[in-house]
Amino acid sequence: MGLLSILRKLKSTPDQEVRILLLGLDNGGKTTLLKQLASEDITHITPTQGFNIKSVQSQGFKLNVWDIGGQRKIRPYWRNYFENTDVLIYVIDSADRKRFEETGQELAELLDEEKLSGVPVLVFANKQDLLTAAPASEIAEGLNLHTIRDRVWQIQSCSALTGEGVQDGMNWVCKSVNAKRK
Amino acid sequence: MNSQSSRNETAATAVNGSDSAAASRDHKSGGGVLKRLKSRRNQVDRRPVTEEELRALGRDITPDEVLGLRAVARDYLCKLEDNIYNIDFTRFKIRDLETGTVLFEIAKPPHCDLDEEDDENRDADTSAGRFVRYQFTPAFLKLRTVGATVEFTVGDQPVTNFRMIERHYFQDRLLKSFDFDFGFCIPNSRNTCEHIYEFPQLPEDLIRLMIEHPYETRSDSFYFVDNKLIMHNKADYAYNGGQ
Repeated sequence: MGLLSILRKLKSTPDQEVRILLLGLDNGGKTTLLKQLASEDITHITPTQGFNIKSVQSQGFKLNVWDIGGQRKIRPYWRNYFENTDVLIYVIDSADRKRFEETGQELAELLDEEKLSGVPVLVFANKQDLLTAAPASEIAEGLNLHTIRDRVWQIQSCSALTGEGVQDGMNWVCKSVNAKRK
Repeated sequence: MNSQSSRNETAATAVNGSDSAAASRDHKSGGGVLKRLKSRRNQVDRRPVTEEELRALGRDITPDEVLGLRAVARDYLCKLEDNIYNIDFTRFKIRDLETGTVLFEIAKPPHCDLDEEDDENRDADTSAGRFVRYQFTPAFLKLRTVGATVEFTVGDQPVTNFRMIERHYFQDRLLKSFDFDFGFCIPNSRNTCEHIYEFPQLPEDLIRLMIEHPYETRSDSFYFVDNKLIMHNKADYAYNGGQ
């Protein structure tokens, strides 16, 4: 499902904008996911030193997807991008078990942010194409996702590289935005 | 599809930005449909303003003021040295989303700063580094969905409220106006923004005129920090490539 398809699924009225924020540790696959959604070549991707934006416009509707770099030195700047976020997509490298604790801490801090309060969260358990990838159920347990009570959330296995699972996750994003708007 | 650029290929202005409607559209920042809905159609037109009036203000030019322009600017509305944040456009790309074809791409080589000699000559050519000329084939005007990417770097200071307004004209007829609020930019960052939009369906007679009159399609790209104009890039376009 490309970004234009996502935009058409969002039941927005003209002159409304939907803002999706992609966060997660460095090397989690945020930029690959963004490029996959935008039907863009994913063979040459370098670490994001700032942000990547895809801004999609169709018949007066607008969807802005923001991918912010995840390196440790950049994370303090994440808070500058929270405002007016409609959905947070948190991307995890499911094969990088050594960093599960670190990624869990970062997610917990995001969920405590006032400017993100009540914002639906989709966790993409990425890199499922790798044999060493932990299943989404194990990641959900490790991150204590079941304790989240203040917002809707979903965890979705995916491979940004192959595109598998990405459409299912984005379908959930569309549903959660549309439900929140009712 | 043939495309080429000349006269300082590094000044990457975003061709054919987005926003099919034009002058009467009000500004929209980067998102938040649930918390902030803006109906730009209910907004009144900006007060028309001329380039001469803006020049005579003797102060920083604001976004509202350039949104009142009804023709392409003949000259630059700010100086090169107004870019105190060292924002530098390093790459520009246009692709056709239907086929995935990259139609146009220019990139500035890394560490491509002007040397001292060029520095001395910069006053002589005020367009140095901020003008680009594009040539496309007529087929470009028939595309359906286009992605236009700009990449820019930021100096060692954080940038707040960074905003781009781009206006495209053919013979002083406004084709479209595009307005995007980047908001905060991280110091020493490299950032990209791709605007994906459905190409406006232009009338056949207008398409013919645009092909017959190369470089009379022009654009101004205005960049603001905290509502002060800090950069102004210009471009012109031909759609008769190979003819």
